[in-house]
Amino acid sequence: MDETFVSAHKKTDASGLVVRWIGYLFIGFFALCCLLPFLLVLGTSFTSESAIKLSGFNFWPKEFSLFAYKIVFENPDLIIGSYIVTIVMTIVGTAVGLLLVAMTGYALQRPDFMYRNKISFFIYFTTLFSGGLVPFYLLITQYLHLKDNYLAVLLPGLLSPFLIIMMKSFVRSIPHAITESAKIDGAGDFRIFLRLILPMTTPALATIGLFIALGYWNEWYNSMLFLSPDMKYRTLQLFLYNVITSADFVRNSAASSNVQLRDVPLESMKMATAVVATGPVILFYPFVQRYFIKGITVGAVKG
Amino acid sequence: MGIKKASCMLLTFLLLFTLAACGGGNNAANNGAKTTNDNGKQDSSAPDTSKFVKVSYVVLGDKPKNGQFEKVLAKVNEIMKEKINAELEWKWVEWADWQTKYNLLLASGEAVDLITIGTDWLDTWANAQRGAFMNLDELLPRYAPETWKSVPEEDWNESRYNGKIVLIPENDYTQWVNHGFFYRGDWAKEAGLGEPIKNWEEIGQYLQYIKDNKPDVIPWDMASGAVTWGGYIQSYTDNLDLPISTGYMPVFTAQSNDEKYTVAEPIFSDLFLNYAKLMKEWADKGFWREDALNNKNDNRIALKAGLSGLDQHHTQTFSTLRVEMDKAEPGSELQMFPFNRTGGKNLMELSITHGGTSLGAHSKNPERALMAYDLIRNNEEIYHLINYGIEGVQYEIKDGKRTLPANYNEASDSFYADFWGGRVDKFEIPSETVWSEIGTLYDEYDKIKIPYPYGQFVFDKTPVESELTAISQVAGELGPAINFGKVSDPAKAVEEFRAKIKTAGYDKVKAELQKQLDAFKQKMEAAK
Repeated sequence: MDETFVSAHKKTDASGLVVRWIGYLFIGFFALCCLLPFLLVLGTSFTSESAIKLSGFNFWPKEFSLFAYKIVFENPDLIIGSYIVTIVMTIVGTAVGLLLVAMTGYALQRPDFMYRNKISFFIYFTTLFSGGLVPFYLLITQYLHLKDNYLAVLLPGLLSPFLIIMMKSFVRSIPHAITESAKIDGAGDFRIFLRLILPMTTPALATIGLFIALGYWNEWYNSMLFLSPDMKYRTLQLFLYNVITSADFVRNSAASSNVQLRDVPLESMKMATAVVATGPVILFYPFVQRYFIKGITVGAVKG
Repeated sequence: MGIKKASCMLLTFLLLFTLAACGGGNNAANNGAKTTNDNGKQDSSAPDTSKFVKVSYVVLGDKPKNGQFEKVLAKVNEIMKEKINAELEWKWVEWADWQTKYNLLLASGEAVDLITIGTDWLDTWANAQRGAFMNLDELLPRYAPETWKSVPEEDWNESRYNGKIVLIPENDYTQWVNHGFFYRGDWAKEAGLGEPIKNWEEIGQYLQYIKDNKPDVIPWDMASGAVTWGGYIQSYTDNLDLPISTGYMPVFTAQSNDEKYTVAEPIFSDLFLNYAKLMKEWADKGFWREDALNNKNDNRIALKAGLSGLDQHHTQTFSTLRVEMDKAEPGSELQMFPFNRTGGKNLMELSITHGGTSLGAHSKNPERALMAYDLIRNNEEIYHLINYGIEGVQYEIKDGKRTLPANYNEASDSFYADFWGGRVDKFEIPSETVWSEIGTLYDEYDKIKIPYPYGQFVFDKTPVESELTAISQVAGELGPAINFGKVSDPAKAVEEFRAKIKTAGYDKVKAELQKQLDAFKQKMEAAK
């Protein structure tokens, strides 16, 4: 890819240059549009609440203040615990989820698997009709007895119909002949899957893996439903969500319900939680980004 | 797969789901009823407390993280153990998506014992309909005798669903959330206004005085969220607020306390035009900023900084704001003009079922749970522990008022229990953050207050859902300009508002509302 780029560069005439510069300008402008809001978030998170009140959001803090972070990190062991829970959940969930999704996707498109269409239909069906919240809640709490158990958050995220369908359409691009030839050479199904299919699906795995990982990283709803406050450590997003909502609530209805009022910097705190929540993902993103682009493209063309 | 086959399967599935859902609901209701009956029959002697049990209490709020709550609860449980051989367990439903979680908790049939309820904000009647709560008629006199005696019969009637008591109301706790203007007494005096201010014209004179004499002050630095239309209705009609939301501004009210089941139409009376004209006049005189519609500043902060002369909120806010103002702007003598003062016939008390406690239908120890509740509500020591914490750590009493101890540290010592399920005035200790003379305002209210009539009225909005949304949209679109006097011709703006709201389906919603109020009237009169 680099080579074509270099050779194209040499050949470029004047009109090509213009197009290129327009392209640079446009993409540069677009990138700025994406970056600026985040810088604004960063700047605001370090601004004192009174400065926000007086002069609004700023890229550069008018009155530098760490108060928002102080409130977010008020209980450092809680936030570290939540971080660990989320990180472990993301790693385990992504690894197991990826394996399961890949296996399901592969199996479902093998022509020699007799009931593939029927089973595909059952999976597809759940994307159209779902039982709804109450049955889901009952299933987890009353039948599986997973209340206050990390599994209640881990299990529902492992297999998603959408990702299975995506995987299935990707694996379809691998000719069945490869599987058959390996079979003739005496390879078992697991060996075929692990040694032949998986390496050929890396772009799809990276994409789906990122989806699953982001899903777990941003997970707060299931933890809100199933992990009660009696558990000391819950997921990071729920922890941050609670910091914000409780501050919001305290401000709005302190008077009417006689809740103890404390001074909370709401605006800068929202920004600080956003920074705390996105930080690690931003660090991690550049490493998988190249796979991500490829995986999405392939998925789109073949899908 | 053929379409026929697929649709067949689909139908089967749907049927199965529906059946399963119905079955579940019925079971829950039946179980609830059965347990109650059994209990009623079994116990005829003294309550048996030989077995140690845990009683859970579901409250709304975020669990405190500094460990103080556990310490206080341990003290409470010492007394609980000694008196009724039981232990309280506090279960929190956090503010993160609390509506969903609270209702799921009740729908799932989990064995909750005591649980905070609120008919106006926690779907209590709908949950009662689904059989989520235990009937208390037979249990209360026996296991919560003090509470049973202290709540008057008419308040118990407010707590019935289908003739059965399903909740214990918070009927003995004074909370006033009626709105009004807060103005500075010192400036009102300078302006030559006789105390206290009694109507909107005097508020106008007060604002004019500030405009003319206080160059640095914006008479009323209101922010974009402020809406006074509801307050104007309260001041210049006898209309009552109805528990039905129409977004930015109230569109439907009830006629008056004498005709509380008749829908009134404030938008279509001259009142609305007068209001629009007054707001236009005030805006033209420069009582608020040109850009008030986009103003995101906090009016209360401006007030405390002496940069604004007027604020608008409810009495409970005023009671603490007055103390803060006395510190921030000494001599300001903040006063409140409650909107209801002008007419004086439509000041409704807060519903006694705004807070309260129910017993879950699947409670394993309903007897002990009620005994525990009886103690929380009627034992002064436990009450003070749960509401204020430990004396000397969380609070001190100085001159009969609650103050913070000298070495109190907000982060490590703060305490709250979010107990809103049965507070009583007799055990409340006045706080130094509440204005000591707030009683004069309460006395004024006590003379004119009327009981809240809609405690058991729930507007079922399903038949008119889309019309209501459309009305809310019109109100949100055209309302702000009228409220802030930002229209060139008030009469025209009012006409446009009326026309659009008619198109949005005003008449249909009004008819439905009247229909449901008629049904409610019959029900209430039959109960008498």
